[in-house]
Amino acid sequence: MTKINEQKVNSDFAMNFGPAHPGSGNFAIKVEMRGERVLKATADPGYLHRGFEKLMEYREPMQNSVLSDRVCVLEPLQWNLVHAEAVDYLMGYEIPERAKYIRVILAELSRIQSHFIWYAVLSLGTGFMTGFNISIGYRDYILDVLNLITGGRVYPAGYICPGGIRKDFPEKAENKILELLPKIDYMRKFMLKENPAWLSRFKEIGVLTKEEAIKFGATGPVLRGSGVAADVRRDDPYEIYDELEFDIPVMDEGDALARFNVGVQEIEESMKIITQAIERLPKGEVRTPTLKPIVKFQNAKGEIYIRNELSRGEGAFYMVATGQKTPYRVKIRGPSFTHMIPIVEHLLTGVDYADVPAIYWSLYQCPADVDR
Amino acid sequence: MMSAKDKQSKNKVVEEKLLEDLNSKLSASVQCQKTRRLFVLIDPDQLVDTCTKAYESGFEHLSTIAATDWLEEGKIELTYHLWSYSHNHLLTIKTKIDRKKPKISSINSIWGGNAETCERECHELFGVKFKGNLNLTPLFLEDWEGPPPFLKDFNWREYVKKEDYDQSNPREKVYFEVKK
Repeated sequence: MTKINEQKVNSDFAMNFGPAHPGSGNFAIKVEMRGERVLKATADPGYLHRGFEKLMEYREPMQNSVLSDRVCVLEPLQWNLVHAEAVDYLMGYEIPERAKYIRVILAELSRIQSHFIWYAVLSLGTGFMTGFNISIGYRDYILDVLNLITGGRVYPAGYICPGGIRKDFPEKAENKILELLPKIDYMRKFMLKENPAWLSRFKEIGVLTKEEAIKFGATGPVLRGSGVAADVRRDDPYEIYDELEFDIPVMDEGDALARFNVGVQEIEESMKIITQAIERLPKGEVRTPTLKPIVKFQNAKGEIYIRNELSRGEGAFYMVATGQKTPYRVKIRGPSFTHMIPIVEHLLTGVDYADVPAIYWSLYQCPADVDR
Repeated sequence: MMSAKDKQSKNKVVEEKLLEDLNSKLSASVQCQKTRRLFVLIDPDQLVDTCTKAYESGFEHLSTIAATDWLEEGKIELTYHLWSYSHNHLLTIKTKIDRKKPKISSINSIWGGNAETCERECHELFGVKFKGNLNLTPLFLEDWEGPPPFLKDFNWREYVKKEDYDQSNPREKVYFEVKK
């Protein structure tokens, strides 16, 4: 007896989407096609597997801080922050107030530039080259400021380190950040209205319902695009987020456009956070005085699960310390892990091939944090 | 707005009530590590039962599954991190299985594809077998034939030396072959 779905038709074939596709990143999806329709999609990660969890077992926390940038190329400062918070808890560091504010300002700037990248790859993948060019251009304004503050355009090399931050703001850095905001706002408006024909491509495709989103472990803009008002910054506050006022954008449609719109609205909220934090920025130390100059991790014992809201969703560090110089075990939870494996396989089943790029990039992928 | 002290005391009351609720529902002793972080130690054969009960009491987001190799103890510890959107608390379910025969039931009946992918990772990197998960194919590593690489007794320096540096690569002959 032949089963219906095992019957082969002459137009059946299988092919790879990625890893050599210009925008897929180091990630492949094997799609089985019947004509123009996708029958089955299988994610194939592992092109960027560097084994950070194992590497961190052989290095001291300050070295790990530099490694933690590399977990995701597009949001390194936020990964710095998650790692630093895990070590801070295990070591019992009290972080100076000024360092907390600077951490938040940088995390939000990093979120905005990451959202710009999202817009860039989304438009690159679906043939809107103007969007790609202008977005990468405006992202560069933010990178210039990050370069001024951290010393690295893309990788801050552990700027947000255990115990606070590595170095205080340089002169007039606050002004430079405030001068950025109108430029970011211009880009945000551009993202909202340009261009209607292109935006209509994302309507009603890749619909993820609320129940599915929770079951598949979606977080961040993907979860909020499906109508769940959950944000780690609000539900499980860290640093100074519980003192700041900001909204959580939520959309109920659950399609690719809703996810993207949530991202655009988040830029506005991040701008609010930056303005408030700069207004209240206190003076003082930026690193805990007890830390000299290396982290004495031998004193740490115990374990912790630290969650943060990254631009892509929930990023987490599970760290176990047993009184050695290095952590005994580190587990990194990347937000794209669930988005890029179970969710993308679920959403791509049964769609037209022309919709594959639009759905793929609407999930805000980062192959680096899938593989780690 | 409530002051920070009021907030803290209110949170504490909520937390105590949640702890009581969970203790009776999960029939295990749930403990508090710090604010918003709860954990419970269980036997491996209670796993599916406890996870189902936790899911029903509002812990509906499976954040991740982490495995830790306790070499001296001869155990592999599995930690299931569950977040609740309604209670805003993280529940960590911990269980220890034998290191020589690491085997445990899969929780794909509750979290479907998400749990299966996390379990695939644990299977590949730690060699844990999950009963009921039919898709334990390799996730990250390609053509890997060695032992699970994230185990503590896996000496990667030796492995690389033996498999890579001390070996002549048959493909190199093809690359550098000079045609006469």
